[in-house]
Amino acid sequence: MNASLRNWLLLAVALGLAALYLFPLYWMYVTSLKTGSEVFATPPGFVPRDAQWDNFPYVWSVRDMGSYIWNSLIIASGTTFLTAALGTGCAYVLARYRNMWIDIGLFLILMLQVLPASLMITPIFVGFSQFGLLETPRLAVILALTAKTMPFFVVLVRATFMSVPSELEEAALVDGNSRIGAFFAIALPLARNGILVSAILIFMQAFGEYVYSKSIIQSPALQPASVGLNAFMGPNTNEWNNIMAYASIYVTPILAAFVLLQRRIVAGLTSGALK
Amino acid sequence: MNRVISSFRDGKGFDIALVGAALLFLGIFAGLPLVYNVVMSFQAVDMFSLGTFARPFVGFDNYIAVFSEPIFWPVMRNTVVFVVASIGGQFVIGFGLALFFTLKFPGSTYLRGLFLVSWVMPGLVVGAIWNWILAGDFGVLNFALTGLGIIEDNIFWRSDTAFSLWAVIIANIWLGTSFNMILLSVGLASIPRDLYEAAALDGANGWQRFWTITLPMMRATIGAVISLGLIFTLQQFDLFAAITSGGPANSSNVAQYWAWDFSFRQYDFAKGATISVLMIALVMVASVIYVRSTRHEVRG
Repeated sequence: MNASLRNWLLLAVALGLAALYLFPLYWMYVTSLKTGSEVFATPPGFVPRDAQWDNFPYVWSVRDMGSYIWNSLIIASGTTFLTAALGTGCAYVLARYRNMWIDIGLFLILMLQVLPASLMITPIFVGFSQFGLLETPRLAVILALTAKTMPFFVVLVRATFMSVPSELEEAALVDGNSRIGAFFAIALPLARNGILVSAILIFMQAFGEYVYSKSIIQSPALQPASVGLNAFMGPNTNEWNNIMAYASIYVTPILAAFVLLQRRIVAGLTSGALK
Repeated sequence: MNRVISSFRDGKGFDIALVGAALLFLGIFAGLPLVYNVVMSFQAVDMFSLGTFARPFVGFDNYIAVFSEPIFWPVMRNTVVFVVASIGGQFVIGFGLALFFTLKFPGSTYLRGLFLVSWVMPGLVVGAIWNWILAGDFGVLNFALTGLGIIEDNIFWRSDTAFSLWAVIIANIWLGTSFNMILLSVGLASIPRDLYEAAALDGANGWQRFWTITLPMMRATIGAVISLGLIFTLQQFDLFAAITSGGPANSSNVAQYWAWDFSFRQYDFAKGATISVLMIALVMVASVIYVRSTRHEVRG
C-alpha cells in the first residue's frame, strides 16, 4: 500500500470519527432550523427541508435574549479582566523562582482549582449575603467566579512565563531597567500570546457559567444566558426547535472563536495542564 | 519608606506584591468560604439565623442527620456509578482516539484539535443538546438504536429511573472524552520512537508493544488523566441541572447536586454545607494524587 493511499484512508476514517463525535452540534443546528411539527417527525429529518431562519429572531425577542447575552458578556468580561489582572503577576513570580515557598504556593493554587462550584456556592452565598454583596449580584458572581478561574489561569500562564528566558530580563536589569520596567517591557510582551489564549479560555468558561449565577442572581433581568436557557427548558417542553435556536445563538460565537484559535488553544492547554 | 518603594521597584517587594495580591484575593473568596463551610456544618442554620455569625453549635448533628437521610446511600451509590462510568468511558474512548491520531496523516493535528469543542462549550448548552437527543419518543438516539436493531422499544432516558443517571453519564462522557484524548496524546508523543523501533527489531507485535512500552511509559500520564477526570466529574453540575435535575425520584441525584439542592431548593444550608465538606475532602484527596503524579511527569 503506498503512502498517499494510506493517508487518504486515515483521513477518511478521521473525518468519519469527527463527524460522529460532532453530530450533537450538527443536530442542534438542524433542529433549530425546523418547524414545530417537523421536530416531531418520524423518521427525523437529517437535513432541514425548509430552513426556518425566522426561528432565530423569534427566540431572540420572545425570550429577551439580548438582556441575557448582555449579562453573560458582563460576567465573562469582568471575570476575565479580574483574573488576568491578578493572575498574570502571580504566574510570573511562580515561574521565576524555584524554592519551597513557591512549591507551597503552587500546591495551594492547584488545590483551589479542584473545588467544585456547586459545593463552594453554599458558604459563598451565605457569606456574601452577610456582607451585603448580594445587592450587586453580577459583581458577586464575578468575584466568586474569579476565585474559581484564577488557579487555572495561573497554571496556564506560568507555563508560558517558564518558556520566556530570564536572561532577557537580566540583560534589561543590567541596562538600568527596574524590575517593574523589565517585567512590563520584556516579560509581558514575550508572554503576550500565552496570556491572551489563557484569557480567552477563561472568557469562554465564564461565558457559560451556571451554578454561581443561578444561585446568586434572583432577578431575571440580571441573569446570564445559561440561566435563561435552563429556564426555557421546562420538564414538559415541546419547543425543541426554539430551544436549539437559543442554544445556537448562545454557543456559535464561542465555536467561531474556538475554530479560529484552535491551534493556540490546544497548545496552551497541553503545555499547562500536565506540567 | 524609600526602602519599601525601592524594594517594590527593584527587589523582593515586587514579587511579594504580585503574588500577595492574587493570594489575598484567593484567600478571601476561596479560602474563607472553605473554612466557613466547615464552621457551618457544625451549626444550626436556618432562614432566620442566615444573617448572623452567632449561630448555635450543634456538634455532629448535621453529619448524623445527613447520614441518616433515606437517600444518603442511594445518592452515594449514584455518585460512585457516575464517577466510575464517566471516567471509564472518557478514558477508553479518549485513549482509543489518541492512539488513532498518533498515526500521522495530513490534517490529523487539526482534526484532533477540533474534538475539543465539546470541552469549551457551556455545560448548559451541552446539557440542552443531549436533553433533546435523549428525548423518549422523538429523540434521535432512540431512533438510531432502534434502526440499528439494538433496542426494540424506545428508552425513556430521562424519565425512567433505571436510565436517568445513564442519560447524564452519556452526556458527560461526550463532554470529557476530547480533553482526555488531548492529554493522552501529549503523553503518547513524549514516548521515544526508538523504543518502538528496538522492539520491532526484536520481533514484538503491535499488541506486545502496547502492553510493554506504551502502557508502562504512560503510567504517569494515565494517573494524571484519571485523577483530573475524577476532579472534573465531581465538579459536573450543569448537565444534571439541564437533563434530569437529579430526578425522577432522586434516581440521578449525586452528591454535588444534592448539596446544592439542600441549600438552594430546601434552604437547608447546614446540610448543604455538611455534604459539601464531605465531598470537598474527597476531591482534595484526589487532587493530592494528581499533584503527585504530575510531579513525576516533569522528568525532562
